[in-house]
Amino acid sequence: MAGDRSARPDPGSLSWYEATARQRVAALADPGSVREFLPPTERRMSPHLPLFDLPRAFDDGIMVGEATLDGAPVLIAAQEGRFMGGAFGEIHGAKLVGLLRVALELKPKVVLILFDTGGVRLQEANAGETAVAETMRAIVDVRAAGIPVIGLIGGRAGCYGGGGLVAGTCSRLAVSEGGRISVSGPEVIETNKGAEEFDSRDRALVWRTMGGKHRRLTGGADAFCADTVSAFRRAALDLIGRAPAFDLDTLEAEQARLEDRIARFGDCRDATDIWRRLGVNDPEAVPAMDTDAFDATVARAREIDHDAR
Amino acid sequence: MTEWRGERRARDARIAAGRAHATGKVVPAVAVVDLLEAILRPGDRVCLEGDNQKQADCLARGLSACDPGKIHDLHMVQSGIVLPEHLDVFETGIAKRLDYSYSGPQGARIAKMLYGGQIELGAVHTYLELFARYFVDLTPNVALIAGVSADREGNLYTGPNTEDTPTVVEATAFKNGVVVAQVNEIVDRVPRVDIPGDRVDFVVEADRPFYVEPLFTRDPAAMTETQILIAMMAIKGIYAEYGIRRLNHGIGFGTAAIELLLPTYGEKLGLKGKIATHWALNPHPTLIPAIESGWVKQVHCFGSEVGMDRYIRERPDIFFTGADGSLRSNRAFCQTAGLYACDMFIGATLQIDLSGHSSTITQSRVAGFGGAPNMGSDPHGRRHPSDAWMKAGREGQIVGDPALMRGRKLVVQLVETFGDKLVPTFVEQLDALELARKIGLELAPVMIYADDVTHIVTEEGIANLLLCRDVDEREQAIRGVAGYTAVGRGRDRAKVEELRARGIIRRPEDLGIEPLDADRALLAAKSIKDLVHWSGGLYEPPAKFRNW
Repeated sequence: MAGDRSARPDPGSLSWYEATARQRVAALADPGSVREFLPPTERRMSPHLPLFDLPRAFDDGIMVGEATLDGAPVLIAAQEGRFMGGAFGEIHGAKLVGLLRVALELKPKVVLILFDTGGVRLQEANAGETAVAETMRAIVDVRAAGIPVIGLIGGRAGCYGGGGLVAGTCSRLAVSEGGRISVSGPEVIETNKGAEEFDSRDRALVWRTMGGKHRRLTGGADAFCADTVSAFRRAALDLIGRAPAFDLDTLEAEQARLEDRIARFGDCRDATDIWRRLGVNDPEAVPAMDTDAFDATVARAREIDHDAR
Repeated sequence: MTEWRGERRARDARIAAGRAHATGKVVPAVAVVDLLEAILRPGDRVCLEGDNQKQADCLARGLSACDPGKIHDLHMVQSGIVLPEHLDVFETGIAKRLDYSYSGPQGARIAKMLYGGQIELGAVHTYLELFARYFVDLTPNVALIAGVSADREGNLYTGPNTEDTPTVVEATAFKNGVVVAQVNEIVDRVPRVDIPGDRVDFVVEADRPFYVEPLFTRDPAAMTETQILIAMMAIKGIYAEYGIRRLNHGIGFGTAAIELLLPTYGEKLGLKGKIATHWALNPHPTLIPAIESGWVKQVHCFGSEVGMDRYIRERPDIFFTGADGSLRSNRAFCQTAGLYACDMFIGATLQIDLSGHSSTITQSRVAGFGGAPNMGSDPHGRRHPSDAWMKAGREGQIVGDPALMRGRKLVVQLVETFGDKLVPTFVEQLDALELARKIGLELAPVMIYADDVTHIVTEEGIANLLLCRDVDEREQAIRGVAGYTAVGRGRDRAKVEELRARGIIRRPEDLGIEPLDADRALLAAKSIKDLVHWSGGLYEPPAKFRNW
């Protein structure tokens, strides 16, 4: 029951997929530690949206702030997938970039980005694309300063478009089964290439190709967790300790791994073919596996974990 | 000399012509067109089994490939217009006249073809009504039906989606008609005999399994808090109030939300065993949590639902199953059950006018009504009392001798004030009237007439139309729950407050419901995967509903 709405929900049972951006942040961080920057009460809104007769919101679909995680200071950004698909708009992007830039001064232990986005907001395309580019640049600066940037992905909107690019620049990613990571979304692929190439209504296919389990098995994500806030918290704490160095060696290793991936799996027709080559004995059983069974499968598969994603 | 056996002789001749393309009764898929051209005659009444769910699609493709020079001017009498081929035959001239019930996916195209005059429309029926006419003046000359398997004698296993088949075959086979069944496979022995072989003249082994549409699966992940609020009001203000045990649900998200709230919100209200125990309902996946928590005693089904077969097999105490273990559905019987043995129908609609008439027909879509006009009507032939029925009867009685009072079926419309794309649900005049005028229909296609509707539930409140005493009160009661639509804004505020004081309109707070409590956390299942877990892994959702 919703009952007392001021109470902090139990992170052990709160579904990440179901929660709002603010519920995720409140339950992820140490209790009572969250301080939001530019909260909705500040009413910082795009001066341009009214020109297009488009709705504005007081937070533009993202909350940013500081908190502590296990006692250590952290910066957090959380996209709200329920507001226009968590899409990057002008203010949305400005808040995220601002948070990353201030990290260089505040020197937090980590910057957490809770992705929940369909990509750039079409009606603010230029501002959104610029925001994505600025965000990637800012993440590079933060990582170069020795501060890890960790992405947590398990929201309804997934992590698509520019969000997928930004996720690619993070130090580490944690994903749940419901989370999806990609650049072009299923409908975009179907529109451009036809339903024979990719049937966007076949949701099992979508999840097989872009979902959390696939990204974890191919090493695109560094941790897989159950769909609870506490599972994401554990994953985040674990990944902070395993963040890779940000240097030329890492980048060259990433490039080499990408080339290797194409060489090894380029001819696969379905994600299950890739899983089989990765050493998964019964690929067909993967989608239905619970978290424990999947963890065991990941542990058995070869060469998943790597500093180069 | 009077001719008494002309129809029988004609039937024998058709079958003899068809045998040229068969081995015994069995016809290969490649010979379907030849078979149909041999057994059909111009002007025939044909039932091309298009049910709500299962489709005789191989035979439909065959019929649409027939030569219009040989086969033309058919009169199609079938409940569902679902596949493109069902309308293609009207474009080529193979068919001319149509009597049907439901055309969900083809609703837009059928509207265009009606406007264009390509279809000569008989009527848009309710299911029971069309089935009834099969036995009076719309008896098919040829029925083209679908089953899962058949033996060489023609004994037919329909599988869980029996649906319309027994009714269609009964009318055709026993009145000198020809029955052709397409099956997914020919077997030595069918798992159970749904249609005896002596009623089936030809069996076609289809090139691929027949198509079934998952029509009754509502993804809990897409359920909104508004729908949850409406569901809470319905449970507390109607189910509990009238003690509704025997009921039918529509297929919308609002009623699916009710199904998911029974084990949580309903449990908290102490209603288990007191409401929603006996159902005339398709096997909705969203009913699984209520079944698993012991709310549901019995469910009879019109058809089945994709992915529910294994679950149903393991719950024979709840569902009607055959000796083989699989579901036996039957649309005609279940519609009869919904009409006479249920105390409430609750469902959604697209438009409601100021009197309470409703329709799912808009100017660009003629979707048809399926079973709703039948479920959603007060059966004047009912003669058995129940507490719910009698209470509604007392509320609705205005004049007359109380000793001669009869009960009332509860017919509840559950709608959001604005539908898809923020189109208002409440309107001054139904689009159906304009459509009737444009294509010259004698009878406007109204789904549920105002005098059958007892309650309207929206996110703004419940309007109890039984308690309204005149036309003006009724109009204001409807305006009073119509929210920010033009109809809602046109309310007489003082009158609406008076109706609220009399309990004709009840707001969430009047029912002791805090709107902010309408949270997704209340749903017994929040995703399709949760439903799979509730079912112990027995429910196997189709790919389009999975996110794993």
